[in-house]
Amino acid sequence: MIPCKPIGQRLTLTLLSVFVFSIVYVSAQDVAAGKAIFMGKCASCHNPNMKTAGTGPALGGLEERHKWADHNELLKWINNPAGYMASDPYTQGLLAQYKSMMTGFSDITLKDVGDIVAYINDAAVVKAPPPGSTPEPEKGNSNAIIFGVISLILAIIALILMQVNSNLKKMSDDAEGISRPEQVPFYKNKIYIAMMALIFFAVAGYYFSKAAIGLGRQTNYEPIQPIYYSHKVHAGINQISCLYCHGSAWDSKHAAIPAVNICMNCHKSIGEYVKGPKLYDEGGNEINGTAEIAKLYKAAGFDPTKPNDWDPTKAKPIEWVKIHNLPDHVYFNHSQHIRAGKVQCQSCHGEVTAMDEVKQVSELSMGWCINCHRETKVDFNYSDSSGNKFYSIYEKFHNDIKNHKMDSVTVKDIGGLECQKCHY
Amino acid sequence: MKKIWTITGCVALMAVLISCNKTRRSEGRAYMPDMAYSRAYETYSSTENLKEKGINYTSMPVAGTIARGDAAGYTLKNDSTGYAASAANKNPFSADSIDMKEAERLYLINCGICHGAKLDGNGPLWNGGDGPYPAAPRNLITDPITANMSEGTMFHSVTYGRNSMGSYASQLTTKQRWEVVAYIKSKQGTASAAKPAADTATAAMPKK
Repeated sequence: MIPCKPIGQRLTLTLLSVFVFSIVYVSAQDVAAGKAIFMGKCASCHNPNMKTAGTGPALGGLEERHKWADHNELLKWINNPAGYMASDPYTQGLLAQYKSMMTGFSDITLKDVGDIVAYINDAAVVKAPPPGSTPEPEKGNSNAIIFGVISLILAIIALILMQVNSNLKKMSDDAEGISRPEQVPFYKNKIYIAMMALIFFAVAGYYFSKAAIGLGRQTNYEPIQPIYYSHKVHAGINQISCLYCHGSAWDSKHAAIPAVNICMNCHKSIGEYVKGPKLYDEGGNEINGTAEIAKLYKAAGFDPTKPNDWDPTKAKPIEWVKIHNLPDHVYFNHSQHIRAGKVQCQSCHGEVTAMDEVKQVSELSMGWCINCHRETKVDFNYSDSSGNKFYSIYEKFHNDIKNHKMDSVTVKDIGGLECQKCHY
Repeated sequence: MKKIWTITGCVALMAVLISCNKTRRSEGRAYMPDMAYSRAYETYSSTENLKEKGINYTSMPVAGTIARGDAAGYTLKNDSTGYAASAANKNPFSADSIDMKEAERLYLINCGICHGAKLDGNGPLWNGGDGPYPAAPRNLITDPITANMSEGTMFHSVTYGRNSMGSYASQLTTKQRWEVVAYIKSKQGTASAAKPAADTATAAMPKK
């Protein structure tokens, strides 16, 4: 006999499980459908985090406000905001506060309203960030320290062994009765002293001349900026073009540091740092991205609780520290290089898209400039539409290329090494 | 024994010097400061003494001034009447004078991060809701609001900003803004010619 439950009990269980499953299934579908409608129609003005106001108010907990617990009221409002508002002081107050009229969506049905509210309630619940996204800060220094300690220990061992060796030799000499003249200690040995002096002058001379050449050069210069602005987050992860903020590099001598209003183009809406990786400064201290954005708001005179009252004319400049400095006697023009020369920003500034705090990668020395001018080939083709018509004046070079006397033209050939190009 | 201590000390000093690779926070010194640092006011040289006089670089341009090489000033105000009046404005630049390749470059740099390289409202900053931007950018092709928007209104919105979008007047000149508007209009034209009945509901959703 197989023991089995009474038919009635089994049936109830099955029915119950189907019922529970269908409830879970239906509500999940509601949220998904609500999300689709919300992202398509509402998210332009209402922040999907449901707790920060955007163009329109934050929608989290909306059923506790006004008459919105009744979805029919919500439906009337969404279908025809202007009509609803005419006899409703609450929504008139919203318009006065947000200064922007709600767009009507006449195609929304009562079921859609239920779905959207289900999604809003679901999204308003704070979710824990996914685990496993906290990389350890890099510790570049530790290797050098380990190597230093190891070499120190080895050197001490070598010295002790030398001492032991000489002592043993002395003992064996004594035992065998050989008498050698007393050895001159090595620090009094003239050959040793001469060799040490030579080595000292070579090493010291190397470091001295290196330091002298480095005067006025700022390789690896990485100043502390007034706001911890991560180029890695902006230009790397979020793929903002360099020219979005430094657009004047295309038209002028300077790759200008953006004014506060360019930051505020996006940060008017982005008030917190939650989705990106954790940030660390060079010392390994964790940086609170949201607090850094608050510093921007302070400079801009922007109150995130009243975004519509912001007056851009009252903004104060942020005093960023300029990293790449050339001496006054050198002329350098950005537009000439990136627009005419088609040089990528990264060729001189390094992988800025991977830097949290930006540092100077290139030497920016004269040798460095000249070397690039010697090696860089000019896109000399002027006949097709993408070419630079200016190069048509170099008749001799074009003839030489045609006659296979030279295969390419470098910047050097068209005057890239002339003193007056950069010093005048 | 003293000898060993001296040598150990030297080696330790060397090790400390070699392992010293801290972050460089100072800009260092120059050979001839009077040749390295400009006496004239250079862009981004120190502005300390300007600050005392209340001069800063975030000021708005004086009303009525026109930047060198820019087109004549835009007269409509940034309010609801200006917005309504902008619909009648037409692009003052003829179609031949607009370089579509340049317009595309400007669009991809300034607009594409939100509105998407395909104008589908899904640029890297929105990324189907996974990006950092908290408001869904308009789908410039299928959203009826932007698809039916006149070029004058579009120019007005780019100049002054609209809803969550900021003003692009400081990043793009008058001509560049008209170029971007012409680029968007030309893309909308080809899209509506290709498929007359665009499916707004599905196109607005990110493809996942």
